Formats: sequence, C-alpha cells, structure tokens
Amino acid sequence: MNALRIFVVGGLTSYRALFNWISPWVFIPHTLGYPVFEILFFAYLGRFANVQSDKFFLIGNAFMAIAITGFFGMGNAIGGERRSQTLSTLLASPANRFALFLGRAVPSICTGFLVAVLAFTICSFILDVHFAASELAGLAVAGAVSSFACTSFGLCLGSLGLRGRSVSLFADMIGGSMLLVSGANVPLERLPGWLRAISNIIPLTHGIAAGRGLAAGRSFAQVGHELGAEALVGGVYLVLGVAMLRLLEYEGRRSASLEAF
Amino acid sequence: MTRAFLSGMWIHVVQFSRNPFDLSGVILWPILYASIAYYLLDARNDPRLLLGASLGAAVMLMWSLVVIGSSNALENQRWLGTLELLVAAPVPFAVVIAPITVASGVVGGYALVATLAWGTLLFHVPLSIDQPVAFAVAVPACMLAIGMLGLVMASTFVLYRAAFSLGIALQYPVWIATGLLVPLSVLPTFVGRIGWFLGPYWGFRAIREAALGPTPWPDIGMCLVVSAAYFAVGATCLRWFVRVARSRGTLKLT
Repeated sequence: MNALRIFVVGGLTSYRALFNWISPWVFIPHTLGYPVFEILFFAYLGRFANVQSDKFFLIGNAFMAIAITGFFGMGNAIGGERRSQTLSTLLASPANRFALFLGRAVPSICTGFLVAVLAFTICSFILDVHFAASELAGLAVAGAVSSFACTSFGLCLGSLGLRGRSVSLFADMIGGSMLLVSGANVPLERLPGWLRAISNIIPLTHGIAAGRGLAAGRSFAQVGHELGAEALVGGVYLVLGVAMLRLLEYEGRRSASLEAF
Repeated sequence: MTRAFLSGMWIHVVQFSRNPFDLSGVILWPILYASIAYYLLDARNDPRLLLGASLGAAVMLMWSLVVIGSSNALENQRWLGTLELLVAAPVPFAVVIAPITVASGVVGGYALVATLAWGTLLFHVPLSIDQPVAFAVAVPACMLAIGMLGLVMASTFVLYRAAFSLGIALQYPVWIATGLLVPLSVLPTFVGRIGWFLGPYWGFRAIREAALGPTPWPDIGMCLVVSAAYFAVGATCLRWFVRVARSRGTLKLT
C-alpha cells in the first residue's frame, strides 16, 4: 500500500514540479514538434528513395515517439536526481525503488503516448494517409504493448544512472539506433543479417511489425505472435531492469559514487 | 575582442573534445542517419548520391551540435550560476557566446570525418572530392555559417529557461528546410525558400558543390555573407535580450 502511495503521490508531485519549471503551453508544442517533424522527415526521405509508403514511416516513427518517452522517462527519473544532487538523500529513504522511479516515469510516458497520438493525427492529415477505426484500435493496442516494452528497457537504462553520469546521452544514442535497427524507417529485409538478429531482441521491432500488420487490415490472431514477442521482450527487460536497479544501487553505495556529477 | 573570440573558441573545442563518451555520440548520430539513407536509397550504382548523403548527414549533426550546444551552454551557465558574471564581463556578451556556438560547429568536423570514413569502409562510397582546395575552404565556411546561426538562436535562449527543449525541437525543421538529406525538390516549394535564410543550406551546398559539383565558390561566398548577417543580428538581439532579462531579473532563474 505504501509503495502504491509512493508511486501515485510521488509521480504526481514530480509531474506537477515539471510544470512549475516549464509552462504546458511551451512544453506541449516542443514535445509535439519533434515527432511531427521526425515523421515528416522520414516520410519525405522515403518518397525520395521510392521505398515503402507514407503509412510505413508514419507508423514507424509514431511508435518511435512512444519509445523515446519510455527510455527517457525512466532514464531521467534517476539522472535528474543525480543532477540536482538529491539522489543519495532519496536512496537513504526506505521507499520501494521500483515504485519511486516508475511513479516519476509513468506520467511522462503517458504524456509521450498522448503526444505520439497527436503527432500521428497531425501527420496523417499532412501526408493524406487514412485509417479505418478498427485499424486505429489495433494500432493503439500495439502502441500500448510497445510502450510497456520500451519502459521496461528504459528501466535498464535508468538504473545505469545509479553508476554513470551520461545516461541521457546513452539513452539518446540507443533511441537513435532504434531509428535504424527497429525497422521504424528501414525495412528489415534491407538490413544485414547481424542487424536483423539484434532487431529481434530489442523492444519496438515486433510492436511496429504488429502495428503495421493491424493497420494493413490483418486480425489480432494474425499478428498475435508479434504482439506476444513484444510483450515477452518487455517482460525480460522488466526483470533485468529490476535486478539492475538493485545491483547498481548496491554498487553505487559501495563505491560512494552516488553524488558524482 | 578577436583574442577573446579565438581563445574562447579554442577552449570550447578542447572542452567539447575532452569526453570520449560525448564524442562517441558526435560520431554515432551522423553515421546512423547516413546508414538509413544508404539502406533506403540502395544506390550502389550512384555513389555520388551516397557521398551527398554522407555530407548531408554530417552537416545535420553540425546543426544539431550548434543548436543544442548553444542552448545547453546557456542553460549550463544558469545552473552553474555564471551567466550573470559573463553578462557583467567587460567583453561584449556576443563575443563570449559566439565562440561556444562556432566551436560546436567545429566539433561537427569529427562527424564529417567519421561519416566519410564509415561510408567508404562499409558502403564503398568513393571518397573523390572534385575540388579539394574549395572543399578545404567550404568546410570551415559551413562551420562558421552554422555557428553564427547558433548565435542568433542563443540570443533568444537568454530570455528562455527551457532553452534546451527549444534546441532539441529545432533540429528536424532545419534539416528538412535546408535539404540536407531530403532533396528540396520533393518538398513543397515554400520550404526551399525558407532554406535560403538558413546557414546550413548554404554550408551544405558549398561542401557538396566542392565535393561533387562545378561551382562551390558562390555558395562559399554566401556562407560568409549570411555569417556576417547572423553576427550583426545575433549581437544586436543578444544586447537587447540581455537588457530585457536584466531589467526583469530573470538571468539567474533555473
């Protein structure tokens, strides 16, 4: 019960603090601008290269927007405490670590999901791409599963913040690599074998494949294996992330590196 | 002032080059974008197209470094509590900030080398520069033009606490409007007109023309013209915005 309280109250307080720092009227356009222009950039690159349709890039990059907030939400939850020199104080508390950091990340992830939906809608109009209601429902389910997988992976990245200083930069680089490896922008069959092998074990790849399948009119039964694979990837990273959180906190305490910045 | 500018730029280039992890990001990003372009274009029979994509990806990162670097630099000064000291220094504030933005563009030179090496080694992109002398002039001209546009951006960041977010948000719009990886011919016409006012457009044209085309010198000249214009606008805006921030007492806000 206490962990639930920490998750809800801590998360809400942290989210409200964000808007004390930045106005929502500034935050939303900035957060929205990045995925909108990213989708347009790759859609027009695809048109130039004469590869795939606008729908391919629209779905791939909308999912990327969801993924990025999953990575950064968790990564910044810990990195931000280090930056403001409150990490060691926070870790001296008996609070459940998972509830503590996930509570901070979840509002950001929900915002990211909303932003991805808005960006998807805006770019659908600009690129003149249309979806049936059933296809949109399918995309929402695939997006939710991908969001879970990416947040779990973000937990692994965030836990590195207990030992390292440049986790945001690292998360940024991982996010950038996803543009290439996850199939968001390059059809997987065009990638070399070793990159395709990596794409199978990272979050997002199967979620994007499921989303594209559902948007192409396939049923949940037909893309179930992709959704299942995405959920499995997310589950594995969740377990790994929780283990890393414990191990790296212990290491941070042992080596007195929690205040290093 | 020249000494302050040059020594400031040197210090910032050295400082930006200190952290190998940061540099790995500088190298990775353009390689990623260039790789996406290589795999999408699949233009084995048109190596010049791939060389153009390599150069475009490198200039993309130059702009990212400048716009993020200039916004982050001011935010860092705010967090460190040194922004007020820099504003109060007898050297004009533009001469303190311009070296940071130009140094960010210079660090983008690493990206250029990395992208060209990556393309040559892995994708067999022939590294044939048509006009080496012009290329050697075009690269620093491009860095200067992009760095000075960063100065104009930095001037607005003085007033703005969430400068870093704005810096991040400005990457893709400028990449699109300047035709760095996506040719302007596939974009609506008005987008190309916007590019005329942006340093990366002329910088990229200068580098690409030196590497692939017949006439790089007009574009190099345009780099210098827009750089001078940006400096004039940036210095004026910076003076004005600093005055506004001082009168409102918002310089120290973090």
